[in-house]
Amino acid sequence: MLWGFQLEFKQSLRTKKLWVIMGIMALLYIPVFYIIKRFGGQDLTAEAAMTFLIQFVTGTAGFFIGILALLMGATAINSEIEKGTLRVAMSKPIKRLAYIGGKFLAHSVVLLIALLLSTLIGVLGVVYLGAPLSGQLVEDVLLLNMLLLLAMIQLVALGYILSTVIKSSSSALGAALVLAFVMFLIVPNIVSYMVYKEAMDSPNPSMSDIEQLQKDYTTKYLFYVPTSQVGVITSDVGASSDPDMENLEYNGMTYAIRHNLVNFGIIVGMTLVYLIVGFYRFTRMDLR
Amino acid sequence: MLRIENLVKVYKDVRALDRLNLEVKPGQVYGFLGPNGAGKSTTILSLLGLVFPQEGRIELLGEEVFQNGRFDEGKLVKAKARIGYMPEHATLWEFLTPMQTLDVIGEAFGIPKTERGKRAKELLQLVNLWEVRDKKVGKFSKGMRQRLLLAQALINDPDLLILDEPMTGLDPKGIAEFKEIIREQRKAGKTVFFSSHILAHVEEVCDTVGVIVKGKLRVEGNLDNIKREFLRKAGYTIVLETNKPVDFSGTEWNVTPLGEAKYRIVAPKDVREEVHDFVASQGVKILAMQVKEPSLEEIFLKMVE
Repeated sequence: MLWGFQLEFKQSLRTKKLWVIMGIMALLYIPVFYIIKRFGGQDLTAEAAMTFLIQFVTGTAGFFIGILALLMGATAINSEIEKGTLRVAMSKPIKRLAYIGGKFLAHSVVLLIALLLSTLIGVLGVVYLGAPLSGQLVEDVLLLNMLLLLAMIQLVALGYILSTVIKSSSSALGAALVLAFVMFLIVPNIVSYMVYKEAMDSPNPSMSDIEQLQKDYTTKYLFYVPTSQVGVITSDVGASSDPDMENLEYNGMTYAIRHNLVNFGIIVGMTLVYLIVGFYRFTRMDLR
Repeated sequence: MLRIENLVKVYKDVRALDRLNLEVKPGQVYGFLGPNGAGKSTTILSLLGLVFPQEGRIELLGEEVFQNGRFDEGKLVKAKARIGYMPEHATLWEFLTPMQTLDVIGEAFGIPKTERGKRAKELLQLVNLWEVRDKKVGKFSKGMRQRLLLAQALINDPDLLILDEPMTGLDPKGIAEFKEIIREQRKAGKTVFFSSHILAHVEEVCDTVGVIVKGKLRVEGNLDNIKREFLRKAGYTIVLETNKPVDFSGTEWNVTPLGEAKYRIVAPKDVREEVHDFVASQGVKILAMQVKEPSLEEIFLKMVE
């Protein structure tokens, strides 16, 4: 397994996809923090800063690194078949499961690096805003990254399935992009529309009713979108009845995960399902 | 060393291997011939467990690696440790240098680091890539890539070398060097199994050939025996040139005039002596007579037909 890991790790760090997406993210982060500072973000409390950081990283990193994870997975196997490197690798005394396991581990480490980089930029942004940082930050940031990593792993595994089904890597890349837009943009918007339609049908719905409805619908109809499930969990990190985030009650990541165990379970479960299917298909497929 | 029995591989609606039987004995240099799409690569990929046949049996280096529709991965891995494989239409990891590539491949075989370095140097010198050992593979020409693919196949000093269309993309000098390496392998007592659709490549280095057409082995054996067998079936062709016309009526030979006193005679056996006597009996002088030996190409084409 270590052999496949070393090779894939070196290869993944050299892919343009990774650095282009990291670059886009960095370019997006900088104006956001600048705008917040310019329009009053300097008064952020520690609680508000952490809530903002966690939700911002979840949304931005979840979307961009999510696309990266899906693309990475979708071209992981078919591109190697096209180049012939997989035939070379698998002609050596290495078991298929060990090879794909090593590859998967390398992808996970690369995604973790991407997530940590994105979090680091986020933390620097919060510091730039002048918000005081509490000691809980490290713990919560780590927890958030682990949760996001789990979601990214699920997307990589989904990509592996695509990679074993679609023979051409360029077709798989296209399919993965379409899937990413459907999963991250189109379907969540349809679900939000359903939420608001139902909310409008009920008499005097409160904001918390709508939030709860959104959570229920996301759990029910977006169980296959890991970033949406992470969004449900991180929505409980901070709570405030005030739309300006004043008097914000910071609950932390541990509370948010405990409070949304079903969503956490869905992420873990779907990850396992995709991984088992992806690995099984790889061990049974013709490498030609 | 290598035995395939009744191997069947079907891709959707294409029967790539149709009850293929084949055996390669230790120390043989076996040329696996066939036109494009005959099933050569599928056979090789099946041997290495890279594609999954549906039926049959594969024995590799004494290990029964495939039977009853499934591979025994433990045995396959054990066998692969003693096999070197060079794929067709492949490249290696473009971000690595040749030294790094051989180091990575050597690691997969569990060769210790110091030994890997030594072996990599020897092999890169053998395939004439030592001068470019620190250049990225991504910048290599097709021929250089082929050489590196051969070097990686030799890293574990394999008992069985499997080469899939190894000389494709090589220049004449490269082909000559390649053939020399195969001869060296034979001298060292190694077994070489290599596929090609270019017959000249096979003719010079192989002691046994097998011809696969539509997934079935049509003929197998020593090259001379194959030629003799072909001649027996297709007939001997003699080209005869005389000082004046000859009357061939009354003979059982199939005679075609090629000129005023030039003939092509096809007979089921070598009839040069009979022809000589027959022509002499008519008081005609033979200017030239030669048996036209079939080239491997002709035999090959005939079989494909």
